[in-house]
Amino acid sequence: MKMKKLLAIVLAMAMVMALAACGGGKDDSQPPADDQTQSGSQTPEAPEEPASAGELTLWTYPIGNWGKEEEVKAITDAFTADTGISVKVEYLAYADGDDKVNSAITAKNAPDLIMEGPERLVTNWGDKGYLVDLSDMFDDTDKSEINEAAMAACTHSNGSVYEYPLVITAHCMAINLDAFKEAGADVYLNLDTHTWTTTDFINAVEALYDHYQAPVGAVYCKGQGGDQGTRALVNNLYGGTFATASHDQYTWDDDENIKALEQLKSMPGIAFDASLEGGDEIKVFYQGILKMAFCWNIAQQLNPNQADTGAGLTANGEEIVFMGFPAQGGSPALQGGIWGFGIFDNGDQARIENAKTFIKWMCDSEHTVDAVKTANYFAARSAAEGTDLSGIWADNDIMNEYQILMPYLGDYYQVTKGWAGARTEWWTMLQKVGEGADIAETVAAYAANANAADAG
Amino acid sequence: MAKQSHPTMSRALQRRENISGYLFLLPSLVFFIGFVVIPMLICIITSLTDANMHDQGMFGSFVGLSNFTKLMSDGTFLEALKNTFIIVIVSVPTVCAFSLWVSSAIYKLSGPVLSAFRCIFYLPVVTGSVAVTVVWKWMYDNYTGIFNHVLKGVGLIDQNINWLGDSKYALWCIILILFTTSVGQPIVLYVSALGNVDQTLIEAAEVDGANSFQVFWQVKWAQMMPTTLYILVITTINSFQCFALIQLLTKGGAGTNTVMYHIYWTAFKLTEQAGHFGYANAMGVVLAIFIGLLSALQFKLAKEK
Amino acid sequence: MKIETGRGRAYKIASVIILVILAFLFTFPLYWIVTGAFKNGADINATKPIWVPSEWVMNNFDKLMKQRSVPLWEVYLPFGSFFNGGKKMLLTAGPEAPAAIRWLINAVLMCVLAMLFTCLTAAMAGYALAKKRFNGRAILFSLIVCAMALPKQVILIPLLKEMSALRLYDSLWAVIFPTVGWPFGVFLMKQFSESIPGEILEATRIDGASELKTFTTVVMPMIKPGIGALAIFTFINCWNDYFMQLVMLASGSNFTIPLGIATLQAETSVDNGLLMAGATLAAAPIIIVFLIFQKYFTQGITMGAVKG
Repeated sequence: MKMKKLLAIVLAMAMVMALAACGGGKDDSQPPADDQTQSGSQTPEAPEEPASAGELTLWTYPIGNWGKEEEVKAITDAFTADTGISVKVEYLAYADGDDKVNSAITAKNAPDLIMEGPERLVTNWGDKGYLVDLSDMFDDTDKSEINEAAMAACTHSNGSVYEYPLVITAHCMAINLDAFKEAGADVYLNLDTHTWTTTDFINAVEALYDHYQAPVGAVYCKGQGGDQGTRALVNNLYGGTFATASHDQYTWDDDENIKALEQLKSMPGIAFDASLEGGDEIKVFYQGILKMAFCWNIAQQLNPNQADTGAGLTANGEEIVFMGFPAQGGSPALQGGIWGFGIFDNGDQARIENAKTFIKWMCDSEHTVDAVKTANYFAARSAAEGTDLSGIWADNDIMNEYQILMPYLGDYYQVTKGWAGARTEWWTMLQKVGEGADIAETVAAYAANANAADAG
Repeated sequence: MAKQSHPTMSRALQRRENISGYLFLLPSLVFFIGFVVIPMLICIITSLTDANMHDQGMFGSFVGLSNFTKLMSDGTFLEALKNTFIIVIVSVPTVCAFSLWVSSAIYKLSGPVLSAFRCIFYLPVVTGSVAVTVVWKWMYDNYTGIFNHVLKGVGLIDQNINWLGDSKYALWCIILILFTTSVGQPIVLYVSALGNVDQTLIEAAEVDGANSFQVFWQVKWAQMMPTTLYILVITTINSFQCFALIQLLTKGGAGTNTVMYHIYWTAFKLTEQAGHFGYANAMGVVLAIFIGLLSALQFKLAKEK
Repeated sequence: MKIETGRGRAYKIASVIILVILAFLFTFPLYWIVTGAFKNGADINATKPIWVPSEWVMNNFDKLMKQRSVPLWEVYLPFGSFFNGGKKMLLTAGPEAPAAIRWLINAVLMCVLAMLFTCLTAAMAGYALAKKRFNGRAILFSLIVCAMALPKQVILIPLLKEMSALRLYDSLWAVIFPTVGWPFGVFLMKQFSESIPGEILEATRIDGASELKTFTTVVMPMIKPGIGALAIFTFINCWNDYFMQLVMLASGSNFTIPLGIATLQAETSVDNGLLMAGATLAAAPIIIVFLIFQKYFTQGITMGAVKG
């Protein structure tokens, strides 16, 4: 009996507590996308409740240190102190971030602000009308200050701007210099220009393979994480392209790309590995097993690895050097990374205004320096409201050295229509190629799929 | 079932039974209907439409059975369907057979040893699916995993095997993890079922000259039939719950796509595809039909015994 | 008993050896998780597996605790969002704490609630299905049986929209309610209730006891082992339902520990030490629950099946 009474009390208490603890549904700082009215959330409408001025939600992908709470908190706290608007940040991962955002949109629970690149903000969510047009935020001074290519990528073909760019970089690859030296493959590297030719690359891989008798680089294709690396590798090897310059069709089935894939497939030193994504590849590279990583950029170069041996070093302390992707003439077309903020249209004008205040504060003010430095990339503009941004990394040797790769920035083709579908086709195709399927046929079939999905 | 219209049951009594029956069922039905039946109905309706993420309403416009005809020629879906069946067809019998063998080997052991074994075989279940998955991912690792290390160490293989990246192995690797997380309960069940087998029947059979093999099949196995059927049911349920394994290990690549995973992928990754919600729901309906048939079959078997 | 033949003896010895090997293999993943959690960076990233950590460090746990910070607890007015223009009404929030701790609390709270709800509703429904001859019983039972194996992915989209409409998206309830609705518990409890002798129920009824009294004083005690089994079963299932957690929970303060670990593994560069520390935290509570209730579990679960 005592037992039973006790159980009953515990049960009752648990119910009450739980009702209170997880009762209600929405995030406290989140107005429902279309509240009492059933009208679409696309059209901004006057909020029926007094706006909760002073609250914002930001979802951010791990863009440099914008994925680290410690760093982000410092800058958002400064913003809150300055403007009185508090910011609640959620951190997304590349592996399942898109799914999270999509399910939140489906559940009408999208955040106010999202930080990512045009391939998602412009091509996907902006294109589908979930985001607010930011074109009124750019005056002529802004337009002259912001990197032209970045501005173009953030602008939708309908003229709306769905992303306010903050930082840019060029994605590159990395090599384990100590391993290269040991295998005598460092002769193929030009450490002054950080570039190499296709022949250099092939010879280097051969030398490395002869020395280590195991794959030294991996064309990872488990999922889409870090796929910019594999795309850039394949495209640059013989000068192929991924999409047309007008961004309306995928061209990765051209002869140059097929030749590149055939070349990579024929090299014993290069493994097509369907058990790795970009993040896994970096881990294996850090462990010193792979001697080169294709999923690399300056933020990686500046980040200490998990074994805490320091930045620019592997877990056993070997030196990591960033390199451009190998190309026939030695000058690659590097894949650009452009990151900035977009605003989800949740139908609450006051929150949209707050979100714009946030963007202005981060991307176009004297605080932009901090926002850019948090990302560990280069500023997307030369100056912000009188603050010169070109020299903010002057005291950082690695950043300065990395500048050398920036002129190689190639076309930002990630805004081609049907991008999300095309990425799925790309990594599935790499898996098939890795398994030994006929390369020309497979490539053609999957590129056709990507183009068909884009038409649909 | 016949009792339902029992002749001696007066109408007043029947009404009383109806009322009290449904009152007792009410709390459970609220949840069952609210969070299983209604979503299932919506799923069926949506599967006939071109609904997608971008529409505000629940349903798009009616497209008849075109989602289903499209499914029949969708290679990715058919492969996923095939894999789903491989997983169920392989894992259910092996789990049953394995747990039966383990149980018959341990059920006569002394108390503490028996319960230690039971706990050990139960450990993977209670470690939690995500924890189990991340550790297996590490163990399977192509470059630093212990599988390759050990197998190379004993000389069984000379090149690293890319367990999760090679479509020759990946699905089997996933089935193996599923297997370790599925045998715990059947072993517990079989151990006690074996302990409950009527001893007099065994002795009678032995007097009649049956060998131990015959005793097992004709006496023990027959008596354990209800347990076996129950195990079939729970193992089938378990086999359909392999989402976490696929999501965290292969993302549906390397020949490990299942319908369960492909629904998720279609719903939230391929958002640019026209009518992708309707399409994903159509997959759900196909899967639900197969599962319904499978369950019906199992229970029909149960009735016959 | 028979005299053991040579072959029988050899078989016995072989099976013991195999069993011991199997036992080793089944415990190994857990061993690997726990040792991995305490390994230092060098051991974790070593190219050859380090069987025993060269030193035991708390480094990975430190890192895990520093990952994120969220309020230790947040208490909302139940259904406050319906009166507050869609915003949850926060009553009180705890101090900022490592997210992993909050995730642990969330997960335990979620599973305990799912367990309580399921046991209560399933026990009542199972009893009714087994002992009440109401109209439509057969068809209801078939429906339940067919829905039992249904994976939740099938109803993913409708469920998500439903949770959004009920304003339950991004709350633990969105995971709890579908778990309670899953009809396996009803099935299990029906199997148990079948064994209650009809005469006892009849006698209680003749004594004039109300239906509810009959249920609480006669039925409940008789199916107690079954409820115990179902409780553990539901707890484990809810804990392992990574999919529902992934889809329904959006903000870091509402994550559960399994979901949190999975999110960590998705980040840019994979850190196995951190993951194993998280996995240790994720595995510990459920293993403890299992060991405490182990007795009920084996008892209960077997009775249900054997009588089925």
